[in-house]
Amino acid sequence: MTQTIIWTIAILTILGALLAVVLYIVAEKFKVEEDPRIDEVEKVLPGANCGGCGQAGCRAFAQHCVKSESLDSCFCPVGGNDVMQKVAGVLGVEVAAKEPMVAVVRCNGTCENRPRTNEYGGYQSCRVKAALYSGDTGCSFGCLGCGDCVAACQFGAIKMDPATGLPVVDEEKCTACGACVKACPKNVIELRNKGRRGMRVYVSCINKDKGAVARKACKAACIGCGKCAKVCPFEAITVENNLAYIDFTKCRLCKKCVAECPTGAIHAVNFPVIKPKEE
Amino acid sequence: MMKTFSIGGIHPNDSKISKDCPIEVLPVPSKVYISVAQHLGAPATPVVKAGDQVKVGQVIAEPAGFISAYVHSSVSGTVKSVGPRKDLAGNNVTHIEIDVEGDEWVEGVDLTDTLVTEIPEDDKATLEKIKMCGVVGLGGATFPAHVKLCPPPGSKAECLILNGAECEPYLTSDYRIMIERSREIVVGAAIMKKVLGGCPAVIGIEENKPEAIKAMSEAVAELQATAKGYEGISVMSLKKKYPQGGEKQLIDAVMGRQVKSGGLPISVGAVVQNVATSLAVYEAVQKNIPLITNVMTVTGDCLPMENQHNYKFRIGMPLSYIAEEAGGIPEDAVKVISGGPMMGKAIANLEATTVKGSSSLLYLTAEQTVRGVESACIRCGKCAEACPMGLEPFLLNRYARNNMMDELEENAVQDCIECGCCLYSCPANIPLLDIIRIAKGDVIRIIRTRK
Repeated sequence: MTQTIIWTIAILTILGALLAVVLYIVAEKFKVEEDPRIDEVEKVLPGANCGGCGQAGCRAFAQHCVKSESLDSCFCPVGGNDVMQKVAGVLGVEVAAKEPMVAVVRCNGTCENRPRTNEYGGYQSCRVKAALYSGDTGCSFGCLGCGDCVAACQFGAIKMDPATGLPVVDEEKCTACGACVKACPKNVIELRNKGRRGMRVYVSCINKDKGAVARKACKAACIGCGKCAKVCPFEAITVENNLAYIDFTKCRLCKKCVAECPTGAIHAVNFPVIKPKEE
Repeated sequence: MMKTFSIGGIHPNDSKISKDCPIEVLPVPSKVYISVAQHLGAPATPVVKAGDQVKVGQVIAEPAGFISAYVHSSVSGTVKSVGPRKDLAGNNVTHIEIDVEGDEWVEGVDLTDTLVTEIPEDDKATLEKIKMCGVVGLGGATFPAHVKLCPPPGSKAECLILNGAECEPYLTSDYRIMIERSREIVVGAAIMKKVLGGCPAVIGIEENKPEAIKAMSEAVAELQATAKGYEGISVMSLKKKYPQGGEKQLIDAVMGRQVKSGGLPISVGAVVQNVATSLAVYEAVQKNIPLITNVMTVTGDCLPMENQHNYKFRIGMPLSYIAEEAGGIPEDAVKVISGGPMMGKAIANLEATTVKGSSSLLYLTAEQTVRGVESACIRCGKCAEACPMGLEPFLLNRYARNNMMDELEENAVQDCIECGCCLYSCPANIPLLDIIRIAKGDVIRIIRTRK
């Protein structure tokens, strides 16, 4: 009896020792050299794995940062400048601060502005709907309203407004990862500069139809009249294919175009409300 | 035992309400809008401009690429404008707007009813005529006919199959032309058969159309007895099953051969053309008439019998005009479909105009269009049983919802013919086709970028 126990312990001990040696040799021979900085960089990243940086996830982004010499091509939209500073600290390089971005819905085709011309009874998905036809309004460019962007957002930053039938972006929560931009089959959503104190001026329409056709389909459509481009002192507005576009790198938020637009397609958001002067 | 295809298929009620309505010629409206994208492939390039005078049958747009087709004016008059207009799905397509003045045809067109039975000897000239007359496949896909009639080098056509299955419920336009223009169709078949190197031709017709089978058989017998070049043409009656009119299903039914995944019909020696295409080939080759007319059905359960029609229309007629000519849209219709109820498209814009491939205006009631509430998949396998391509829609649905592109490709989502059998048979009302169609598009795009 005792003999058996002794033998068992002895054999297992020898076997264990032998295998440990084998494992050690194998581990030494096939060792993967990995930059320890990758782990450090990964630690400071938000860990959302959203893919907004263009990499497969946070680990892949960390590897990409360590591999590339400068951080110019790397940006984590979720963490923003704070996280990028930390990454730069770990890697011991400089990084220029980037303007924070935000997702902007460029359609103002509310139920009131854009009357429905037919009823969609199919599967509620923008991609499915877009594959079938141009949508249930006269505008073949605007928001389809089935909420693919809402489903794509990992941060709960987009919600459908039942009153307007359009998605609304929560600027606090939006990280500008771009998932909604990719999900939208109509390319309604654009990443734009967040702007000073969130102040932004943009054309809330992507209709490229001729003015009369666009106007008939939607009261708030850009008709491509070009008045805004004429009034803009900074040459930030271009009109192409019957559609105005404001270049946010040139726009200085003077709001002259907002007053000029005949259909109210140009939106100015987050500007302080100016109280009328008391006389 | 009557033949049919071997995998899957469903049996929807055939509802051929308008089958006894003879073909009527629609009067020409005061204005037509002719689309330049009436065929599969690149949209044609307009060659007329505002102010030009055009005659019926004059070329107004030229093909822009190998897979493209000529577009001819269907009326005579003045071109008013060339520009974007919304098609029936509401998307912008270039249309040529023509104000109608009189009905003057281009020269060289034979508008008499005499049947020309002599098959032209010069194959090259025949093909050129088919191309110049803008003939496209009228079975639904509108693939340019001359491309299909030139098999790629190394392959040989062993059988020309004429598709007279018309397996879509409600549609009766092919049925009517098979009864009223049967001899012309047979001549068209003989012309195509000659071009393809004299292979036999089989006209496949479903058993629920006995009169069409009779008319076509009589026409074949008559022409074989009186003229040369009609040997090897036969009529085959097929068991009724949807989607028998699908190219690959019809080849399976008629020849007993299955086209490999990703293969073309010519790989098994088959060329399939619709009976309406055959009629268009006859008119193009024997009469020099370009493809500017076709037959469409105006039907629906909610439409009174006297308003059911089979119309011979010209391309460019607004659908609203046709609906008005047919006695207006019934009150209880909630959906108008262009094409059959299985594969047709709901019309979002009734101001859209007819194209070469228009086959119907089908009115559906609220009861017919309502979708059931979606519930969970219980893996009953009814969709897999119904799929005529041998796919597993329940599996594709799961992969598609999780964006699993590799698995989708392995399970041949790209072979889906979008017939809708899976959706029709699903007891859980899962929108299988809607989801699979999107995934199919994605996978095909991935495969293309790889090349």
